[in-house]
Amino acid sequence: MVSTNLLPDAAERARRAGVQRVPKGTLVARRFARNKPAVAGLVIFALLALLALVGPFVARWGYDDLDFGALKQRPSAAHWLGTDIVGADMFALCVRGLGRSLLIGVIASLGITVIAAFVGTAIAYFEGWRERVGMWIVDMLLVIPTFFLLAIMVKGAAGTSGWLWLTAALTIFGWVGYARILRSIALSLREREYIAAARFMGVPSLTILRRHMIPNLGSILIIQTVLGVVYAVQAETGLSFLGFGITPPDTSLGVLIRAGSSTLLTAPWMFLEPAALLLGLSLSMTMVGDGLRDALDPSSASAGRA
Amino acid sequence: MLSFIGRRLLNYLVMLFAATTLAYFLASSFLNPRSNYVQMRPPPPEASIDASLDFANVNDKMPVVARYGRWLEQVALHWNWGVSPQGESVNGAVAHRALVSVKLVTLATVLAVLLGVSIGVAAAIRQYRLFDRVSNAISVFFLVSPTFVLALLLVLGGIRFNEAIGARWFFVTGLGDAGFLDYLRHIALPTVTLTLVGYVGYHLTQRTYLLDTMNADYVRTARAKGVPKNVAIRRHALRTSLIPTAIGVVWSLTSVITGSVFVETIFAIDGAGKYFVDALTKNDINGSVAIAALGGCATCAGLLLADIVVALLDPRIRVS
Repeated sequence: MVSTNLLPDAAERARRAGVQRVPKGTLVARRFARNKPAVAGLVIFALLALLALVGPFVARWGYDDLDFGALKQRPSAAHWLGTDIVGADMFALCVRGLGRSLLIGVIASLGITVIAAFVGTAIAYFEGWRERVGMWIVDMLLVIPTFFLLAIMVKGAAGTSGWLWLTAALTIFGWVGYARILRSIALSLREREYIAAARFMGVPSLTILRRHMIPNLGSILIIQTVLGVVYAVQAETGLSFLGFGITPPDTSLGVLIRAGSSTLLTAPWMFLEPAALLLGLSLSMTMVGDGLRDALDPSSASAGRA
Repeated sequence: MLSFIGRRLLNYLVMLFAATTLAYFLASSFLNPRSNYVQMRPPPPEASIDASLDFANVNDKMPVVARYGRWLEQVALHWNWGVSPQGESVNGAVAHRALVSVKLVTLATVLAVLLGVSIGVAAAIRQYRLFDRVSNAISVFFLVSPTFVLALLLVLGGIRFNEAIGARWFFVTGLGDAGFLDYLRHIALPTVTLTLVGYVGYHLTQRTYLLDTMNADYVRTARAKGVPKNVAIRRHALRTSLIPTAIGVVWSLTSVITGSVFVETIFAIDGAGKYFVDALTKNDINGSVAIAALGGCATCAGLLLADIVVALLDPRIRVS
């Protein structure tokens, strides 16, 4: 039978050429799955997230239940991870702290990426004096170490809603460095023909940023969001460790490590358990981020071909 | 060259001024020194609270712009960074503490550069072999470990080590005052912490840069002319690849003060970082702004030196 269709559809053309078409998502997933550390990181992260979500339902104790019969107990059948100096169950505390740190990290990282993407591409897109002023402000915000400004701002946060305040502060100060990086990447984007075409067609600047500049940074933004979780979690735990940020009765991994650091010799598990969770979280997210970088980067050879 | 440095210096000074102003307003709106007194039992009379707060120029009944004006006048004309709510001078407290931090961080930076660059070079020469993979895995671990977790692990390890051998080799608090050996035993663990945190960056960047230059045309030319591989790497590839590392070393100046916050807090070393934490805990606006400004100075000094080092070392860059 003779085909009357002069322009065969895509699948037919691919079949004739003997090429198997693979959607981009499948391609990236395949390249990612070939990277063993990245898959291990994803598994660890999934387990940690599962622990934070399901943990409160399987724990025998609430995080604020105090067992006065068991102060500073080693891990046992009654208290899986032991108890702290006032008799609170370490498993319940760790699960709650992990959930808190993870929640803060994910929300702050998403916020940071959104702000950094808009500001970074905007500075690159608007050339001339606006670019100079924007860069000057970004550089100025980086002169004083961000950690100091963060600490000053969250010092007053207290109580159980303090975590929202901390998340907001992490977002407000966290975007600056990322915006600087994104701007330097977006510099080459603004010279592209399709940006010029959109500009000459009279597309509003904000739409150009949203529809043409930012989507073309897509893979970089995904990687930055994943690695940004590590940054935000470490900033949160660091501030909470120093006694700023999250403060008791609310808890986070930083608060737990702070409490554990004062009983380092008599009850080392109080420090080692939250520290292991924090290390696992940071390490797994970093491995996932690196794996995504290799999987999304078409020029990277480290994830094999196709 | 001089006018280039002058212009950069002027720009950094203006930035530093703006950033410090920002820090002052931030601290004035988020720190509440009055709460120190209200918590006292019995609470002191209102008039005496106001008098103490006025003395330190941190009274929230006075408009913040007026307070800023008085603070700026003192700083600019008399180099007086104010007093804490308790009435101690910030100048006197910060000067010697900053020196403590600088000493601590300088030693650790020298060790970190030596360790990081040697591992980086060794790893680049053995790319994708066992040494490269193992050193990379170890460095990724230190890269993601928060400083305070690493420091506490070392404290735990140091104390266990002392118990195991039945003698106190390592001290985990303070700096000691009984001679050089005592100082070394106090400073060992904090220095190891900062070194482990710092070497990772030098390892990874040095490896990348050396790999870049090892495959450059001029190195291949040298090899083709019969230069042995090791000599070609040492004379031709390594030299060029040290330029970015030198800039990285200068850049590390920017984190002199921040880097020591956790280490000083955990090892109870009375340096600038610990002073910042204490000042914040005591709602000391003037003290925390002074340390923030000090951190800003370190950043600007690092940026300026990096500009100069780039211009001096890299012949491809023309200053104009």
